Amino acid sequence: MKKNRSQARDIMLSVISILLLVAVWFLVSGSRPDFFPTPMATVERFIRLIEKPIMGVSVFGHVLASLRRVMLALIASIILGIGIGLVMGWNKKVRAAINPILMALRPIPPIAWIPLIILMFGVDEFPKVLLVFIGSFFPIVMNTMSGVALVDDMYLKVGKIYKAKTWQMLRHVVFPAAMPTILAGIKIAISSGWMVVVAAEMLSSRSGLGFLINRGRDSYDVALIMVAMILIGVVGALLSAVFTLIERKMCGWMSKE
Amino acid sequence: MSNNTTKLPDGVADSIKIEVAARKKESRQLLLISIISVAIFLFLWEFAVRIGWIDSKHLSAPTTIVETFIMKLSDPNPEGGVLGTHIATSLGLVLVGYGAAVVIGVPLGLLMGYYHTFDKLVSPIFEIVRPIPPIAWIPLSIIWLGIGTTAKAFIIFLAAFVPCVINSYTGVKLTPAVYLNVAKTSGASTWEMFWTVSKNYAMPLVFTGVQVALGNAWSTLVAAEMLAAIAGLGYMIQQGRLLARPDIIIVGMLTIGVIGAILTFLLSKLENHIVKWRSRS
Repeated sequence: MKKNRSQARDIMLSVISILLLVAVWFLVSGSRPDFFPTPMATVERFIRLIEKPIMGVSVFGHVLASLRRVMLALIASIILGIGIGLVMGWNKKVRAAINPILMALRPIPPIAWIPLIILMFGVDEFPKVLLVFIGSFFPIVMNTMSGVALVDDMYLKVGKIYKAKTWQMLRHVVFPAAMPTILAGIKIAISSGWMVVVAAEMLSSRSGLGFLINRGRDSYDVALIMVAMILIGVVGALLSAVFTLIERKMCGWMSKE
Repeated sequence: MSNNTTKLPDGVADSIKIEVAARKKESRQLLLISIISVAIFLFLWEFAVRIGWIDSKHLSAPTTIVETFIMKLSDPNPEGGVLGTHIATSLGLVLVGYGAAVVIGVPLGLLMGYYHTFDKLVSPIFEIVRPIPPIAWIPLSIIWLGIGTTAKAFIIFLAAFVPCVINSYTGVKLTPAVYLNVAKTSGASTWEMFWTVSKNYAMPLVFTGVQVALGNAWSTLVAAEMLAAIAGLGYMIQQGRLLARPDIIIVGMLTIGVIGAILTFLLSKLENHIVKWRSRS
């Protein structure tokens, strides 16, 4: 009984909190609607966006354009990141050869690459995917490397006793043991990639959610900016929710509860 | 006790010596590999630009970058500021936004973790705002706050705020009940339990959050300055692109990287200083 009551109280508090947010939004936006559109105006703008495409592409087309860039880059950075990370974590000499260069590049934020990449490759599709790749590659390679390096020595010894070959060792012992760390790296990579794609699209693009924000700014359409921001937030949250599900499927044996 | 360690059988002492020598040899070898690898990398880069495989309008040779770096120490041309000015502008901006995020975010997260009602009241709003990348706020904050320092500091604040709150919150939530119960039994008030037990237990995680926040703040700074600024490292690389000067861009990028790394390093030193109790274990 007591538990039910406290749950009901929690839900009520959450509802109050969201109502408060909407109320404040209404209050603040009331005075300068052109500056800060009301919640209703924002919803209206969203409906209008569904009916009227921008640059010949519907809203969903823009969402898909952004998603496509992120997915392409993620596939590349997962394959390369896990591959290079595995070898670096496994072989000290390879690590000594590659690590200094990675360490020099890693502290440079992905967004700081934008000017150079545009200068080198223009404003096509490839440079945007490359930027997202830069943003998502480092977390994956770093996590894979440390995951492999931290594999419990006992597992390796058991593998050795059974005379596993290097490949078998990597495939059946090291890779599964490092899996949770690798997945955590991919999770960081997804949110970082989603951020970078928005930034890349804001600086130069004709499609995607970042482009919608920019279009809103250029035409002083604040409601459009807000719609695009909310869409970016929702899609980003969905991406990480979907990945958490995948993570649980793949690493069920790791779950804490 | 000390006798045991000083007097080892001869065979054991020898094998330890051999082991230590082998380790030293290995680490020397690894260092050599690192140096050779970096040297080859830089040489190939230089060579590829010199011979024209890579257009020098797209990517400058390492030697050119070093020259530009030395030039930028004293020469404000071509984009209108010496390196020192850009660094000072960017650091000042980060200090304001990041400082505000730590000062507001950490206590907020700690209190959310400790007081259930407060948590339930604040977290829905937090969860709605959280998934929007700070960069996506740039146009809106320019419209609301203009293109001055306030807008940029606000964006940096947003970037740094989230990890500060989340980690402080998690740190408090993870306080073992045993510790709290001991405090309770000893007659601590709710506030005392929070202040002496939960807050201190959360500190290592708070510091991780504060560190992540610094990384976020520093990378968002670049974006904010690229979109609207008249000085700063982000402005410098954006101008480098407009002037088609890859050397300026790369000097800017490397400076951003190095300063980011230095800031992270300083913060971890500060952490060791403040979270002393952890180093015991």
